[in-house]
Amino acid sequence: MDFALVLQTILNGLANGALYAVMAAGFVLVYRATSVTNFAIAEFLLIGAYLTYTLSLFFPLLAAIFLALPLAFGFGVLVERGFVRPLLGRNVVAVIMATIGLAATLDGTALLLWGPDQKAMGAANIAQLPKEMPNLAFNVGGVFLSSKAVWSLILALPLAILLVMMLKYSRYGVLLRAVSESETAALAMGINAPRVVAAAWGISAMMAAIGGAFLAGAAGGGGPGHHLVLLGLIVFPVAILGGFDSVPGAVVAGLLIGLIEAFSQLYLESVLPGITQAIPFLIVLLVLMFRPYGLFGQHRIERV
Amino acid sequence: MKMNRRQVLKAGLAASAVYSPWMIARAQARPVKLAAILPLTGAFAFAGNAALDAFRDATDRINDAGGIGGRRFELVVEDDGYDVARGTAAFNRIVQRESAEELVFVYGNSTGLSKALAPEITRLRLPYTATSFSNELADPKTYPTIFVFGPTYNDMAGALLQQIRRQKGRGAKIFLCYSNSEFGRDPIAFIKEQSARLGFQIVGEEVTPLAIADATPIVTKLRQAQPDFVIVHGYVLTVEPLLVRAAREQGIRATFMGTYYSAELALMQRAGAAADGFIVAYHNGYYYDTTIPAVEQIRALRRAKGRDLSYRTTYYMGSWMAMDVIAESMRRANAAGKLNRPGMIEALEGLGDYNAGGQVRNMRWVERRLPFTKLWRANVRDVRFDAITDWVDGSRI
Repeated sequence: MDFALVLQTILNGLANGALYAVMAAGFVLVYRATSVTNFAIAEFLLIGAYLTYTLSLFFPLLAAIFLALPLAFGFGVLVERGFVRPLLGRNVVAVIMATIGLAATLDGTALLLWGPDQKAMGAANIAQLPKEMPNLAFNVGGVFLSSKAVWSLILALPLAILLVMMLKYSRYGVLLRAVSESETAALAMGINAPRVVAAAWGISAMMAAIGGAFLAGAAGGGGPGHHLVLLGLIVFPVAILGGFDSVPGAVVAGLLIGLIEAFSQLYLESVLPGITQAIPFLIVLLVLMFRPYGLFGQHRIERV
Repeated sequence: MKMNRRQVLKAGLAASAVYSPWMIARAQARPVKLAAILPLTGAFAFAGNAALDAFRDATDRINDAGGIGGRRFELVVEDDGYDVARGTAAFNRIVQRESAEELVFVYGNSTGLSKALAPEITRLRLPYTATSFSNELADPKTYPTIFVFGPTYNDMAGALLQQIRRQKGRGAKIFLCYSNSEFGRDPIAFIKEQSARLGFQIVGEEVTPLAIADATPIVTKLRQAQPDFVIVHGYVLTVEPLLVRAAREQGIRATFMGTYYSAELALMQRAGAAADGFIVAYHNGYYYDTTIPAVEQIRALRRAKGRDLSYRTTYYMGSWMAMDVIAESMRRANAAGKLNRPGMIEALEGLGDYNAGGQVRNMRWVERRLPFTKLWRANVRDVRFDAITDWVDGSRI
């Protein structure tokens, strides 16, 4: 076995997995805080990518990515205030249907605001070439890592880990855990639960924006567009594998699925075309059958 | 035959009704319609909306010139979101709602939808074309009313293989990368068969979803296979820029090639310098080529209507060409007194050397498609595709 090739595949898998991890961690955060499954998470990616694109027309790409984060946070808070909060306390099916409706609304909004044309980061019109982040690609001893992979490892992975640490050790993390345990009890203790929940949606949108920006070619080779919605669906298998209510679980699962995809693409795809696309969902099937609480999810026993 | 007085009176009454000014006015007032099922939302919204833009412009042009034989030309538009089930429902709605006398042409979408609709289109004897260039649709024996307004994906691949023969000759090493869709798989068997015949070697093959997050695993295989050419098909600039960029980063020097849906300037806009030299098969004009009469026609119309004169995509140009051809067929059918579905098919078949303002070589159908295309090379410095061939018959390898 070619050691350099294996190492390269591991690093690239982790780089992609870092993007999955950051997106899924944000998704799980919302679920933990509110028990709402955000079926519009893929559209959060889309909006985040378009926000980054818009800013990239005026600023260098790296600055645009960072400047898009507070905007994405504001967008997440706006969605929570305008769309989710009025539905809290309603039947869970109603809330799920509402987030599916939210997905369609956001799709349409993106089309109306940014138009249907194919776009590239930093290019205002067709005559312009894309703006690019500094090229960090390297090749050491036959191990090649693309610029996109390096940037994912530099930006997305630490962000995902930071979120995990924040939830474990910061005051906000304690508040969020309190709210997720029992919102009523948290309110009785004087915790501003609505603000904690709104922040969870804001952080989730920020995480999605990072993922969306990278998948939309912030590190080269793509652009924002509806295909991001297809790519964003990866969040669901990652979250289910991780345990659905565990942010560290989502991070580990994201990295794991990134690795599995990379090896599948390299070794299985030529034998079984289309297998890489199917693998995350096969994993979901197996997880739901044999370990429904995922890798790190809470073991809940419900007596009926 | 001898007619009695009563029969003469009846015939006179019927004739006066048919030829009465009211009936003539009613016939003239009756519009002639084209229905378009377009992906106005979803992953192909960029192409669907560009097509709609072209269709609206072309409709204005037709009606400003007096319609078709005095009848107003009307566009019936439905969105299918690039979804076969939605497209089928839209088609059923259209054919139930519109009368056969008025609706004389349907412009559909996608390989999947066109194949799904093909039997019903044939049963209704409804003239049809689509945004798809699937080989299966160009089959007049099975689908006598379906026309492919350009080369099929096989023809495009044929033109690319001819280029490979010119550039490298026998022994050329080819890597195939295509999407796991009907669109993506369409020309693959043909490419393999022709490559074997021409002495080319298929050194690798990669099947991917329509959109991917990372092209590195594919590039790793390219490094192992060391191809001279990489043919990419079945995407809409969701994979090509990512792939060519990652390949150049890793020092792969192979020539990248693509078909119609890779032939848009957004390839360069997304891939940047890495796209330089990318060869595509494309059979209409580019909007920046002012030597093409159609471009002047488009600009003149948009200028007169106060519309945006900036760059129009290849999806716009192809749709404008289709509308130009359909309108010309309607005029000819009307002149022959047959502005109906069978008349449209006859008119389309007889277009001969008509070239839609220089946007096609001619309209001489070969198995209901037009096998000629040109090959273009991406020139990133000027953000243009430069023609590297004249018209090439993709069916003659």
